[in-house]
Amino acid sequence: MARAFLREPDGFVALLDDGERLILSGLMQQTRVLLSPEIEATGDAFDDLVASMGVSLDLADQGTGSADSTGSSGDDEPADTGHRDPALDRLLPTAHRGDDEVAAEFRRLTEEGLRQRKSSNLDLAIGRIEAADEDRVVLDAAQAPAFLIALTDVRLLLGERMGMRTEEDAEALHAAMETIDDDDPLGYAMAWYDFLTWLQETLAHALMDERDGDGEGTDEDV
Amino acid sequence: MPTASLSLAPVEEEVTSLDEVVAPDVPWVTIVWNDPVNLMTYVTWVFETYFAYPRSKAEKLMMDVHVRGRAVVSHGPRESMERDAEALQGYGLWATFEKDE
Repeated sequence: MARAFLREPDGFVALLDDGERLILSGLMQQTRVLLSPEIEATGDAFDDLVASMGVSLDLADQGTGSADSTGSSGDDEPADTGHRDPALDRLLPTAHRGDDEVAAEFRRLTEEGLRQRKSSNLDLAIGRIEAADEDRVVLDAAQAPAFLIALTDVRLLLGERMGMRTEEDAEALHAAMETIDDDDPLGYAMAWYDFLTWLQETLAHALMDERDGDGEGTDEDV
Repeated sequence: MPTASLSLAPVEEEVTSLDEVVAPDVPWVTIVWNDPVNLMTYVTWVFETYFAYPRSKAEKLMMDVHVRGRAVVSHGPRESMERDAEALQGYGLWATFEKDE
């Protein structure tokens, strides 16, 4: 049974058992696949900077993501061009309502960088889950925000898949839980969604409490 | 959410941020829209973390998003608003930018 994130001497710590870690890291990996950048981070700061601006240094890279028809390995994104998973519009939403050109330009300039940042948060979070020792998932001060943001993206994806787009949708889904069959996949998804909500809430609170503590000290710099 | 401990925090940053937000001659804004997924605590944390807004202001903006469906979270030149929208989307918030009417 899971225990919430708490501030402990060695960091922000949650207790998650094998099954919980397996599901959580599986959901993070699915989110990671959806968000995978066209160009993965190379470790070279300059190349990554250029890539994050949406420019590929290697012409051969361009279009391979959609033209590659050899690797039909199952649940990856459909390979046809023009298809955009609706969940992506939730994770990388239109940034200008009312001017499609401005929105498209913004997306062209920012999407690759956002995908890289979100992916690296998810990679870090998956790594921390895999590094758990005796069920303890431990995050230091730098890892905790990345983990918190990764949880957001997983919940956004799960929420979108369940059709949770408005407050009314969320209420309807929670109401449906009262009568749903135990083996209904929607009920299963909703239970994990609520679990992630709880986990994220406890980590957000732990971070806020930590900040309150800092605020009373003398070294409050941002 | 307890706010009592806030009284000990320095107040000067609030003054600066308020000036920024009410400045009449900056024509672009960043808006955060309500969504059913993002948690109130998390949204407050993001406003504090990214904008360095004090708790009281971060919570007020969060409540505006939650209750009114949207809130203007920053004003400024277009480039800054694009940067803010991008950063907030990085946090998973539903952020847009537009010319202030």
